[in-house]
Amino acid sequence: MAEKSPLAVFYFAVLGILTAAFGFAYLLVTIGIVNEFTYSLMEIPGDMFGGGWGGIVLLSAGLFYLMGLKDFNEIHQFGKIVMASILIWLLAGCDIFVMITESIPGGDEGWFNTLSGFIETYYPPYTPAVLLLPFSLVVIYYIYNRNTREEKE
Amino acid sequence: MNVLLMGHPNVGKSVFFNRLTGASVTESNYPGTTIDYTKGYMRIGGKSVELIDVPGTFSLNPKDKAEEVAVAMLHESKDVKVICVIDASKIERGLYLALEIIEQGYPVVIALNMWDVAGDKNITININDLSRILGVAVVATTAISGEGIKELVTSLDDARPVEIDNIINNVGGLT
Amino acid sequence: MTLDAATRWDIIDKISKETIAFGKYRHTLTDAIGELTVKPGTGIPIAIAILYGFWSIFGSFAGFFTDGFFVRIFDEYWLVWLQGVFPGQGGWLYAIMVDAGGIQSGQFIPSDNCLEAFGVLTSGIFVAIGVVLPAILIFYFMLALLEDIGYMPRLAVLIDTLLHKIGLHGYAIVPTILSLGCNVPGVTATRILETKKQRFIMMTLLAIFIPCGAQIGIMEDVVPGLMGWIMLYLLIGYFIFGFVLNKIVPGEAPEFLIDVPPYRKPLVSNIFKKVWGRLVGFFKVALPFVLLGCAIVGILYMLEVIDWLAVVLSPIFIGWFGVPAETAGPLIAAFLRKDLAVAQLSTIEMTEYQMITAVVLVSIYFPCVATFAMMLKEGWKELLAALAVLAVVVFLYGGLIHVIGILLGVA
Repeated sequence: MAEKSPLAVFYFAVLGILTAAFGFAYLLVTIGIVNEFTYSLMEIPGDMFGGGWGGIVLLSAGLFYLMGLKDFNEIHQFGKIVMASILIWLLAGCDIFVMITESIPGGDEGWFNTLSGFIETYYPPYTPAVLLLPFSLVVIYYIYNRNTREEKE
Repeated sequence: MNVLLMGHPNVGKSVFFNRLTGASVTESNYPGTTIDYTKGYMRIGGKSVELIDVPGTFSLNPKDKAEEVAVAMLHESKDVKVICVIDASKIERGLYLALEIIEQGYPVVIALNMWDVAGDKNITININDLSRILGVAVVATTAISGEGIKELVTSLDDARPVEIDNIINNVGGLT
Repeated sequence: MTLDAATRWDIIDKISKETIAFGKYRHTLTDAIGELTVKPGTGIPIAIAILYGFWSIFGSFAGFFTDGFFVRIFDEYWLVWLQGVFPGQGGWLYAIMVDAGGIQSGQFIPSDNCLEAFGVLTSGIFVAIGVVLPAILIFYFMLALLEDIGYMPRLAVLIDTLLHKIGLHGYAIVPTILSLGCNVPGVTATRILETKKQRFIMMTLLAIFIPCGAQIGIMEDVVPGLMGWIMLYLLIGYFIFGFVLNKIVPGEAPEFLIDVPPYRKPLVSNIFKKVWGRLVGFFKVALPFVLLGCAIVGILYMLEVIDWLAVVLSPIFIGWFGVPAETAGPLIAAFLRKDLAVAQLSTIEMTEYQMITAVVLVSIYFPCVATFAMMLKEGWKELLAALAVLAVVVFLYGGLIHVIGILLGVA
């Protein structure tokens, strides 16, 4: 079990630092130290719920990644990496769900949104949690990898 | 004749109940879901028999209101048979309750439920020996997927009271 | 023949030696994750995340149906249609069933939305179907999901220490969370607690501090921005008064060993069955009361009972609670209809802090009639004691919130 996975450790270290930094940024924007932050692809939420509460969650996810780096292959440590990804999925899932529920009703215009209005809802900017989502999915490969290795043993 | 479903909290009694009666009792993955008892009817060999889903209890010395309900129900019913549901991955404490029920002279069959979980935990149980020692039918079940349910119902028909002395003899006496 | 415990364990020990073999048990990923959710260091952030998800999905889902579709259906079609076809505009039956409207210089002015019409068929149905139904549907769905995965006992373990301070233990989280959907099953679930003392504390706290799905739904709809503060005040009250009750109520609060089941993959059919059962239960119990309450409030308004009470009690409302005199009406009507009272409050001009105070007061008020009946079933002595506690709590806590407002400089 004492294998090393330097690539995985490096990858999740970078992801962890990024995630924690974004979590921190959520909180800064929410408190008002940094003003509203929208930069081409990305928009950091600044309301008490999404930015404050959500920021705590994203920050925890980042810390979980970093906590799990040592002894990456030990199951309890690996569990932290998986949990960190699950937290990102949860946050991003909620953000995407918000987009879906906003894209369908027509508001003042009519019962349902127009097709272009519907599609425009899904244009950027996105929240950092949504942007981190694809990178966090890499953990699935490692879960799969782990399972096949255990079956061989 | 009545059949009582008894066992610790959260071993899957309500799942059994739904399987056996086709009713819909809510099941939850936490102890204490069944606070009041639920009645339903099941068929054994063509006869319709009343089946009661008893709230989970750790022993026959009740510690909370739900357990009181459970014990009172056992004592009030006459001509009952008991399906004792045991979590196979935590078999020892389940056997404690089973022994208590057997001692009081009730005919019992034992369902070793969550057989799959015990398998995951690498616990192997010799069912034949267990059944021989206790003198009652023991069936491995996975109620969620329905494994073993049919065998359980068939064995219910032959359930008879067992003398506790026989069990003591079978394990080679007391220390 | 019966044996003593030691003999039983002796037998079991022998049986176990003969029949059971414990293989080497290697922790699986599910076990590792299970452990992470229970240990406080990692478990608390995870609990915070799960509550975030719960709340976020709840808000978007309920908003999608209520603001996206139901408001339009009810305001632009249902209300307009009823105003057209229901006979006797301005008469008493019309006022109770459809629209109490506003009277200005002898001229009847029809309402233009279902929240302000206050008729049984307009506000009553709109609140029940348009606001409450989506809210409790998504609430029960997510609760069922958490239950079936097996998260609830882990939450119970996490919060155990905290709940011991108020004479309860971890499992008190189950009735508490159930009550956020509807207080009626919450009261039933208090039976998983061991002693009379614990059940009494739990029931009283539920009735007072836990707003039900109907209330939360309508709050989300009419005062979404203030939700955080309102829930915070309710949560603080839950712990303050739980702590006090634990000190003054006689009896024991024993330790309880929690059995944590493994995480399981939930069965979709079971989740839907559960949500459906709870929804049906909610509507059977709650809907008749909602409509009846709506009618009674309408009648009391018409007989000017509420206006009279508002005048009599207004010194308390203005002086002690620090809310405008007009809120007296809805606050009194809240004895019968909590959710609609929140809607009524939202139409009154007042400061944000006054609104928070008023909504918190409505929430901690008298339990709804259905909950009242459930508590009576558990024992009339307990019910009377709970009501006494309630009266004291409303008075003290309402005053306290006012004082906090004064100290913060916002009231």
